[in-house]
Amino acid sequence: MMVILLLALIVVLAVFSLASKDLLHSVIALSAISLLSTLLFYILRAPDVAITEAAVGAGVTTVIFVWALRNTDRMDRDR
Amino acid sequence: MKGDRLLRTLRILITMAAVAAVAAPVFLSRTPWPSTARDYLERAGVADSGAINLVSAIYLGYRAFDTLGETIVLLVAVSGTISILSRSGASLAPGFGSVAADNASFSLPQDKPTTHTLRTHLIEVVTGKLGPVVLLFGFYLMLYGHLSPGGGFQGGVVIASGIVFIAIGSRRDASTWLTKASALNKIESLGFLLLMSAALSGVFAGKGVLGNPLDGPLFGKAAFIIVLNIVIGLKVGSGIGFMCIAMLGRHRS
Amino acid sequence: MIERILLLILFLVGFSGILIKKNIVKKIIGLNILNSAVVMFFIVEGRTVGERSPILDPGVSNVVDPVPQALMLTAIVIGVCITALALALAFRLYKAAGSFDIDTIKASLHD
Repeated sequence: MMVILLLALIVVLAVFSLASKDLLHSVIALSAISLLSTLLFYILRAPDVAITEAAVGAGVTTVIFVWALRNTDRMDRDR
Repeated sequence: MKGDRLLRTLRILITMAAVAAVAAPVFLSRTPWPSTARDYLERAGVADSGAINLVSAIYLGYRAFDTLGETIVLLVAVSGTISILSRSGASLAPGFGSVAADNASFSLPQDKPTTHTLRTHLIEVVTGKLGPVVLLFGFYLMLYGHLSPGGGFQGGVVIASGIVFIAIGSRRDASTWLTKASALNKIESLGFLLLMSAALSGVFAGKGVLGNPLDGPLFGKAAFIIVLNIVIGLKVGSGIGFMCIAMLGRHRS
Repeated sequence: MIERILLLILFLVGFSGILIKKNIVKKIIGLNILNSAVVMFFIVEGRTVGERSPILDPGVSNVVDPVPQALMLTAIVIGVCITALALALAFRLYKAAGSFDIDTIKASLHD
């Protein structure tokens, strides 16, 4: 039950992340997806994967994305 | 113009239908996951490799070549990223890019002078004071990987996070050697060299590449796993820490 | 079964992000979502054969399959390496062409 709830929330966040006009909001949504999948991995009895996903997804990936946005454009000019 | 958009929409629809048709039987298949691997590892995992944590036993014992390949991929990615960025006029942290980029980027007009300080009180308390705690936790995860969830990669990325915390939150005149480019470079190269030596030491003990040479009355099988965990943790931590600190840029306070 | 359907939807969302969006950073975000979907799928599948986490403390039996977890550790780390390199290349393209939009980049590189 919790698994289905978390997965539905992850799908909603993924759609928001791809559809948002502000790229910083998309990156924060990606970090939230990583946080929710850490919780999901813990519930699914995979503690090693949970630790790695927490440190990598919410830490390193967000730092890299925010750096890439800071030195360039922040808005998605396509829409 | 309208025809172009129609064509593009049609192409996108056909591609998505094809991908869905290929992915659906994989994701929605009804064959049960076989339990052969789990049965064998429950019986013989601890005796074969010496680690209670079965995931550590797999990626450091049975499938250690995957781990070797992964550290090589990490090395290539970090060095490739830094080399692409330092040649393209990005303002990396001082000392982390090439020397030419450091000298050149001082004259670029797009270095926006920031008027606000990077280090507010909130950041100073949270990251500066919490940095050594996270570093300690990373070392714990690295060393206890064979007994509880943890291991080389997990401890390594947490150590990288700790290094980034220390780099963000420390005071301007407080200098630690841990966040300097030369120290992180040396640790990463040393870690890779030690990993290669550990991989080849099994050959000299007669057990093949990445075999366990410390299997005997003196140490026990888990000692080699601890050594591999430490080496991988140092390498991963310093590599990712180097990349993140380089991307944090110049501090203006 | 519902989890697998949701994971299939996540996979298709990630793939459609790579296909439909014209901004390079959105494409890279789609790649990340695709990676996460596959990792989650393997862990969900591995969970079906057992009950406890794969740490054999004395007296523990009927553990979850540890093989997909070990493989996904590698997959996560390689995913972050791919993201880092892709963003470095996207940054380089931005410096060369002035925008993240692929039509603008294609046009400016044809000159």
